[in-house]
Amino acid sequence: MSIESGRAAIELRGVSKRFGSVQVLNRVDLDVHRGKAVVLIGPSGSGKTTLLRCMNFLEEFEEGEIRIDGEPLGYSDDGTRRRRPEREIARQRAALGMVFQSFNLFPHMTVLANVTVGPVRIKGLPRSEAEAVARELLDRVGLGHKLDAYPGQLSGGQQQRVAIARALAMKPKAMLFDEVTSALDPELVGEVLAVMRQLAESGMTMVIVTHEMAFARDAADQVVFMSGGSIVEAGPPDQLFHAPQTERLQAFLRHFREGYRL
Amino acid sequence: MPFDFGFVVRNLPVFLDGLFVTIQLSALAFVLSLLWGLVVVGLRRSDSAPVRNLAAGYIQAVRNTPVLVQMYFIFFGSGMAGYPLSGFVAGLLALTLQNGGYVAEIYRAGIDSVSRRQTEAGLALGMLRRQAFFIVTLPQALRRVVAPISNQGVTIIKDTALVSTISVAEMTQAGRLLADRTAAVYEVFFTLALLYLLVVSIFSGTMRLIERRVRVLA
Amino acid sequence: MFDVVFRSWPLLLAATGETVLLSVASGLLATLLGILLALGQLFAARALRYLVEVWLYVMRGVPLLVLLFAMYYALPYTGIDLSPRVGGILVLSTYFSAFMAEIFRSAVLAVPKGQWDAARGIGFHGWRLMREVIVPQALRLASASYVNTMIMLVKGTSLVSIIGLWELTLAGRQIVERTLASFQVFGAVALIYFVLCYGLSLAGRYLEKRFSYVH
Ligand SMILES: Nc1ncnc2c1ncn2[C@@H]1O[C@H](COP(=O)(O)OP(=O)(O)O)[C@@H](O)[C@H]1O
Ligand SMILES: [Mg+2]
Repeated sequence: MSIESGRAAIELRGVSKRFGSVQVLNRVDLDVHRGKAVVLIGPSGSGKTTLLRCMNFLEEFEEGEIRIDGEPLGYSDDGTRRRRPEREIARQRAALGMVFQSFNLFPHMTVLANVTVGPVRIKGLPRSEAEAVARELLDRVGLGHKLDAYPGQLSGGQQQRVAIARALAMKPKAMLFDEVTSALDPELVGEVLAVMRQLAESGMTMVIVTHEMAFARDAADQVVFMSGGSIVEAGPPDQLFHAPQTERLQAFLRHFREGYRL
Repeated sequence: MPFDFGFVVRNLPVFLDGLFVTIQLSALAFVLSLLWGLVVVGLRRSDSAPVRNLAAGYIQAVRNTPVLVQMYFIFFGSGMAGYPLSGFVAGLLALTLQNGGYVAEIYRAGIDSVSRRQTEAGLALGMLRRQAFFIVTLPQALRRVVAPISNQGVTIIKDTALVSTISVAEMTQAGRLLADRTAAVYEVFFTLALLYLLVVSIFSGTMRLIERRVRVLA
Repeated sequence: MFDVVFRSWPLLLAATGETVLLSVASGLLATLLGILLALGQLFAARALRYLVEVWLYVMRGVPLLVLLFAMYYALPYTGIDLSPRVGGILVLSTYFSAFMAEIFRSAVLAVPKGQWDAARGIGFHGWRLMREVIVPQALRLASASYVNTMIMLVKGTSLVSIIGLWELTLAGRQIVERTLASFQVFGAVALIYFVLCYGLSLAGRYLEKRFSYVH
C-alpha cells in the first residue's frame, strides 16, 4: 500500500442536491485518494449518476462542496457559492475525464479526430503532437488500427474504448465512469473492463459506477454503497462484499446474488 | 397546331439569357438565405429574451406573408422612400428575408435533433458552451438538414420567377415577352417548364450527392 | 399617414373576401386531388404509379407562376370557355395537390407496420382497414405539414394577381398606383395575409391538440 498524501484528489463534503422537491443527494461525504479506484454501487435511482455528474459540474448542487486537488469545483473560493466564470469551470472539467453509459462519441468525427479534438481545440496543442498522443492511447485501448473509422462503424465495446481514450487524451487528474458497460452486449463487456483494469493498475485515480460486482471486487480499492441519495456503507471490497454491516447493503447483495451475476 | 421545335431552337438564346439571370438570382438568394438563416437562428437562441422574441416574431412574419407582397413592399417602398432599389436587388432581398426565415427554422429543428448528451460530452471534455455548439452540435445539425435545405433551395429557384413582376428580365419574363410577341404559346411554356425542371433537377441531384457524402452513421 | 389604408379599407376587405374564396376553393380541391394522387402513388398498378410519380415531379419542379401563365396564355387557344377565376383555382389546386400528395403518402407510410398487421390480425382489410385504422392515425401525423401547405396555398393565391385576377394583392397594387403609398398599403396587405395564415396555423394547432390521442 502506498502512503497517502495529505489531501484526497477529490473531496466531497456535505454535497446535497434536489431535483425540484426530490432530494437526490443527501449530505454526501467522500474522499477519493490519488491513484485509487473507488467503485460506487447501489440500486437504480440511488443517485450514483447524479453524484458523478456533480463531480464534473454537469449538475449544480445546492449544498456542500467538492474540491479537486483542494480547489473548490464550480463555485468560487470565497464561500459565497457564486458560480465560477464559464472558462474556469471548463478548465476544471478538463481536469476530470468522464465516460458515459451511452459513449457519446462525436459521430461526425473519425476516431482520431474524436481523441484529438480536446487537446487541439481546448488545450491548443499542435495537431501533430495531439495525434501522436492519440495514436499511443488508441494503441493502448487496442484500437490503433481504427484511426480513420467513424464511431458508427464500430461496435459498442470499441466505441466505449475510444471514449476512454478521448477522455485520457486530456491528461485528466482523475477519471469518472458511469455504468460504462451497461449498454454493451455481454460479450463486449470484457474488453472495456480490461482497459479499465489496466488503467487502475497504472495508477489512475478513478470513480467508477458499475453493476459488475466481480470487477468491483477485483479492481476497487474502496467500494461505496449508496442508497436513497446517501452513502450507507463504504470500505475495502472484501469487507463490503463479505461482511456487509447494514441491512440495506445485505439486501442489495442478496438481491444481486439471486440475479445472474456474482 | 403542331409543336414547332424550330421555334424553340431559334429562340434558345432568349431563354438562355433569362436562364442566366434566374441562376444568378437563385444562387445568390440561396447562399444569402443559408447565411441569414444562421444569423436568425443565432438570435432565436440568444440569451436575451427580447432578442429571442424578436427573432421568433420575424420568422412568423415572413412565414405568414406572401413573398410577392414582400417584393412589392421592398421594390415600390424603396422607390417611395427615395432610395429606389433595382428589381434584382429588391427581389434578392425579399427572397432572402423570406427563405432565411424558413431556413432558420430548419436549422433550429436540426440543432434540436442533436442530443443534449453530445453537448454534455463536449462540456465534460472542457469545452465552453460556444465551443461545444460550434464543434459538436452545429456540424451534426448541418449534416442532418441537407434534405430540407435542398427543398428550400427548390422553392427559391421557383420563386425567382416572381421577380418578373418587378421588371427583371429573368427566364419567365423572357418567355412571357416571347409569347406576347410570337403567340407560340405551347412552345414557350413547354420550354420554360423544361428548363426550370432541368435547373431544379441538377440542383437537387447535387444536394443529394452532398447529403450522401456528409451523412453520419448513427 | 395611414388614412390611405383607412380610406381603402372597404376595398381591401372585399379583396380579402376574394382571397379567402380562392383559398377555400383551391384548398378543398387540392386536398381531394392530393388524396387521389397519394392513393395512386401508394396502391395503383405499376404503370399508373409511374405516371403519377412523373406528374408530381413536374408539378414540384415548375414555378407556380409559369403554370399560371401557361393557363392564361393557352386557354384562349384551347377553345375551352373558362373564366380566369376558375382557371386560377384549377392551377392553384393542381399545383398544391402535388405537395398534399406527398404529405398524405408519407403520413400513411409513417403509420407503424405493427398497426397494419394488428388490424389485419383482427380481420380488417381493404377500405375498412384504411378507414378505421390507418387514415385516422395518418391524419394526425399529417396535420402539421397539411396546415403548412395550406398556408403556402393562401400565400400562393397572391400570384394570380399577376395574371390579372382581382384579389388582395392586385387590389393592393391598384391602390398603390392611385395613391403611391406603397409602404402603408403593402404593409396593410401583408398584415391581412398574416392574420389569415397565422389564424390558420392557430386553428391547425388547436385541431392537432384536439385530435391527438393520449399516449
Ligand atoms: N434531470 C433530472 N430531473 C429530475 N429528476 C432526476 C433527474 N435526473 C435524475 N433524477 C432522479 O434522481 C434520482 C437519482 O437518479 P440517478 O442519479 O440517475 O440514480 P442512479 O444513477 O443511481 O440510478 C432518481 O430518482 C431520478 O429519477
Ligand atoms: Mg445511473
